[in-house]
Formats: sequence, structure tokens, C-alpha cells
Amino acid sequence: MKQRLKRLTALLLTALSLLSAAGCSSAGASGEQSIRLMVWSASEDQSKDSGEWLQTCCENFAALHPEWDITFVYGVADEATAANTVSQDPSASADVFLYANDNLTVLTDAKALAKLGGKYADEVASFTSDALLESVTLDGYLYGVPFTTNTWYMYYDKRVFSEEDVKSLDAMLEKGVVSFPFVNSWYLPAFYFGNGCTLFGDGTQEELGADFGGENAAQVTDYLIDLIKNPNFVVDDGGSGMAGLRDGSIKAMFSGSWDSASIREILGDNMGVAALPTYTLNGETKQMYSYAGSKAVGVNSQSENMVAAVELAVYLGSAEAQRLHYDLRNVIPSNTELMDDPDIAADPVVIAQNDTFDRTSKLQPFVPQMTNCWTPVENMGRGIRNSSVTHANAVEQTTAMNDAMNSDGIS
Amino acid sequence: MKEKSYKRSKQISNIIVHAVLAVLAFVWVFPVLWVVMTSFWAEKGSYVSTFFPKSFTLDNYIKLFTDTTLLNFPKMFLNTLIIAVFSCLLSTFLLLSVSYCLSRMKFKMRKPYMNMAMVLGLFPGFMSMIAVYFILKAVGLTEGNLIRVALVFCYSGGAAIGFQVAKGFFDTTPYAIDEAAMLDGCTRWQIFTKITLPLSKPIVIYTVLTSFISPWVDFIFAKVICRANADQYTVAIGLWRMLEKEYIDNWYTCFAAGAVLISIPIALLFLKMQKYYVNGTGGAVKG
Repeated sequence: MKQRLKRLTALLLTALSLLSAAGCSSAGASGEQSIRLMVWSASEDQSKDSGEWLQTCCENFAALHPEWDITFVYGVADEATAANTVSQDPSASADVFLYANDNLTVLTDAKALAKLGGKYADEVASFTSDALLESVTLDGYLYGVPFTTNTWYMYYDKRVFSEEDVKSLDAMLEKGVVSFPFVNSWYLPAFYFGNGCTLFGDGTQEELGADFGGENAAQVTDYLIDLIKNPNFVVDDGGSGMAGLRDGSIKAMFSGSWDSASIREILGDNMGVAALPTYTLNGETKQMYSYAGSKAVGVNSQSENMVAAVELAVYLGSAEAQRLHYDLRNVIPSNTELMDDPDIAADPVVIAQNDTFDRTSKLQPFVPQMTNCWTPVENMGRGIRNSSVTHANAVEQTTAMNDAMNSDGIS
Repeated sequence: MKEKSYKRSKQISNIIVHAVLAVLAFVWVFPVLWVVMTSFWAEKGSYVSTFFPKSFTLDNYIKLFTDTTLLNFPKMFLNTLIIAVFSCLLSTFLLLSVSYCLSRMKFKMRKPYMNMAMVLGLFPGFMSMIAVYFILKAVGLTEGNLIRVALVFCYSGGAAIGFQVAKGFFDTTPYAIDEAAMLDGCTRWQIFTKITLPLSKPIVIYTVLTSFISPWVDFIFAKVICRANADQYTVAIGLWRMLEKEYIDNWYTCFAAGAVLISIPIALLFLKMQKYYVNGTGGAVKG
């Protein structure tokens, strides 16, 4: 039995080594170096229906670099989940992958992200705005090549609202039904940010904690209690906003670029897109602010072909690759050179997303403490919706929310 | 008079019992019905405002099997089926063998083994998932088609821990039958396959069912081990992906269709094996 097991193992091992040898067989006939790069991105980037962005870019990259004979291995991991998958086992993960910047610390804690420096950092900086660079910079080091911004803004029906109306939530509520993801803590803080609440100072000062308490926050809670009673204000929960837009009962909703195709299908030419409106709090005009982040190309710090991997990452974030990404999948480009491109500059979604990023958003903090900030805010939204938060207890409920956001986990 | 009031009270209690049962049946069946209904929805989107679809369609099912560039459902279905069938065979064999040994053979480690298995069984399996992942990686089973093998090992490796029920069942078969067979010259293996197993159909069926269902519906191990290998995804991962924010608006109704489809093999298994299943608690030898 033991003998047989041994033989079986030997057989398996031989088969394995043969297989892996086949994987990199075409070893440099003409002096080129043969390397293997594993690349991960979302499945849409690789599907035939949407033009195989990743494969096309990788082949273009290979053509640009005849000194390497590259074998690409593709895997599926979208930006939101890539960080967790990579940090689970960096040594068996992609050399180059796309990730959302709110997971930056997950990756750096696992020591899975390579720092970009020297000429690469300069090149990235040359086509990326400072705010965007900051979103993937930690302790002064650049950890990726940003290729798009990630935030939410407003879609509306042009037949109902004028361009003047969409600057103010109050004006909109007088004219038509507006749906807002009230019980989603990625959206609800917009109102609190508007009245001077902050998270971790400028977003990186963990020691300052969350400042969602105090007089100004309680005022917002009071405002929200009244807002939800407005018959023209509807809570968007579980896709009800999109359903309402479809059947015509809702005229404006808040979402991001991932819903733009569906909304365009519903509203057609009547689709309007705009940065966040202002709201009126005790007679004063306050701006709503969304969370903003970015998506970036990261390089695995344990990659065996570091130079090629970094070059590929920079290429995937370059104007050419971003342009293709936009053409194939409507991924909003962030490259500053592309903003002069007439097609792109005229796209309302691009305009709105960039306007939101520049003007009406706050960089989503990625300090570890941030994980405690989601549930309390969501609970506040739910509390207001089911009337357990009232004008009478608004102050103490807001303080409780702030305490929970500043506490470590379960309190 | 007395008889009448007895009849009457019987009637009343019947009404109450049936009313309660009707409510419970509704509560249990409703979610299933709801999923089935949703799978026939012609309208897009994830928000359902009415129970009955405004118009029926089979497109969701068709899309599941034809729109394979983004989420390859047929492939996932096949993956899951292969994994479930093989882990079912392997773990049924392991579990029944272990149960038989513990029931029939007296050896020194018997008691310690049973205690150890009992204690280990108290811990949820996914506690070990990261360790399991690294072990499989060290053996080289975490890439390509070998992932399926890895998953089969994951699902069937711990089967022997759950021997209690089957051992209890084998214990009810009189040892005299084994002795009689031994006198006739049977080996242990022959007793096991020719006598004990045929006498224990209900528990064999029960084991087959449970060991088919657990890999069929498992999410955690598949997620940890498949990682970015989309061609190895199982149905559970595929269905989960359909509910992510980028997909949900287009894939929600397909998700319901997929949920209906994965319940079919399980339902078939149950229907087919139900008659053995029902007299499962009766004991082994009758008459």
C-alpha cells in the first residue's frame, strides 16, 4: 500500500512538473526572457461580450515589450474583493490586479502591495490628479496606478427637473419624487458631512476619530427626521429606486457609474446626471458630500517578475488602456490627458463623476478604524425610518451613534 | 348528548389544528413559491413590488444557460455536480466503513477514537479552512482542474467524524447474524457488503443524501479554495456573484432561476429515495 502510494505520488509529481514545464516551454529562442504574469480583474473585463479589455491590453503590452516572452494567466477577482483574495495568500496571487482603494490597508497589512517609486511614480503622477494619487498613497508611498474614480452622484429625469433645480435638494423635492439610499451607510453620511462632521480629521488622522456627534450632527439628525416625512422623498432600499425609475414613480435617484447603463436604458436622452445637490438646514444652504475612492492597478510585492509587473500595471493605468476601458465598458477614465478628448469630455456621466470627485465628495478614509463606522450610521438611518429616532431623542441618539463609531467593535 | 359534544369539541380542535397547520404551511412554502415566481419575472431589476409577475417568461432560464461570457452557469453547474457526486461516493464509503468498524470490531483505540471524534465534531469545519487551504496549496491542488479534486477532499475528508448515527444503526443489527455468516466462511468485507449494508438501506440512503447535499450547497470552502479561478467556480459562488452590486440589476431574476435549478437534483434524490428514508428509524431486522 505504502509502495503504491509512493509510486502514485511520484507519478503525480512528474505529471505536475511536465505540466508546469509546458506552461513556460517557449524559453527564449531569440534571447528574449520568458516570464509568466498572472493578472486578475473583474469578469466583465475579460468577457467576450464586452470586448476582452484585459486580454487586449495585455497583448498590446506584450507587443510593446519584445524583450520579454510573456505568458499571461488570467483570473477573476473584481476590484471590491481582490484585496481580500490577494491578502489571503499573496504568494499564490496575481502579479498584477485591480483593487478598490478602500481596501488599501487590507493589502498593506498583508504586505501584499509593492510600492511604486522612481520613474514609475513620476510617470503615474504625470497623468493623475493629486487627489487621486492621494487615494492610493499611504505614509508617503504610492501603492498603485489609479485608473478610475469610485463614487456616487445623482441621476435624474430631465423632463422633471431643470439644471437649476438639481443644484438644490429642496427645489427638487417640490417638483418630483426623489429616492435616496437612506439606510445605506455609504450614502447617508452625505448629510452629516454637509454640516461640518468629519471622519479622522482629513481622513488619515486616525487619532482624531469620528466626529459625528455634537450640536451640528444633532441638527442633521433633526433635519433627516423631517426629510423622511416628505411625501416626495422615498427611501431606496433593495433596488426600489431603480424599480421606481423604471415604472415612472421616481424621478431622481442616487447611484454610481455601475448603474449608468441601466438608467440610460430606462430614461434614454432624458437621463440627467449631476453632482450632489445642496440641502437647506435651518435656513442655511449646505452641500452634500459623497464618499469618494478610486480603483487602482496594484502590483503584488511577492511577484517574481517585478519589473514586468510594474510596467504592466503602469500600462493598464495609461491613457491608452483607460480609453479602451471607457470604450468597451464605460469605465470612467481618470487620466488627465483623456479629459481633453472630445468624446469623453462630452459624456454627462464622466462630467458628473469628475465633478463629484472634485467638488462634492470626501475621500473615503482607509484607516483601520473606519470599519467601525458603517453599522452605527446604517442603524441611524433605520432608526429614523422606523421612527425610533425622534426630535425628542435626536441629541442622545446622535451621540450614541458617534460613540459607537469611535468604539472598537462591540460595545 | 354527551356524544354530540364530544364530536363537536373534536370538530373544533380539528379546525384549530388545521388553521394552525395552514398558517405554518403558508409560512414555510411562501419563500419557495416566491423564488419560483421571481424566476419567471419578465421585468428586470431586483425590487419586486407584486407577488405575481406582470408577465411570465422563460428568458431567465435561457439566459442562465446561454449568456455564459460573464457568469458561466452551465460550467458551474457541471463543476458542482462532479464535485458533489464524487464527494458523495467517497464520504459515504468512508462514513459507513468507519461506522461498521466501530460497531463491530473491538480494538484498543475504539473508545478514545470515538471520544476524539466527538470533541472534534463540536468545532465547525470552516474554522480550519485557512489551514486546509495552505495544506492543499503545499500539495499543489489549488490550481487549475485540481481544484475540483481539492474540493472533493475537503468535503469528504471529515466524513468519518460523523459516524454516530450510522454506528447506532449498525448496532441494532444482531451480532448473531455476523457470527452465522462467519461460520459460513464470510470475510469481514463480505459481511459488510453482503449482509450489513443490505439490512441497513435506510441509513445508507440517509448518508448518501446528506453527503450529496453538503458539497452541493457549500459556499465557504469553495470560495476559499477557488479564489480567482473563475472556471472552477461552483454554483454557490456563481449565485452569490449575481447579487453583487454590479450584477444585481441584470441578474436578479436569473439568480432566482438558478436557485430553482439547483434545488432540482436534491428534490429528485429525495423523491427517489424517500421510501427508504421514511422507514429509516424502524431498525434493521424485522420479523
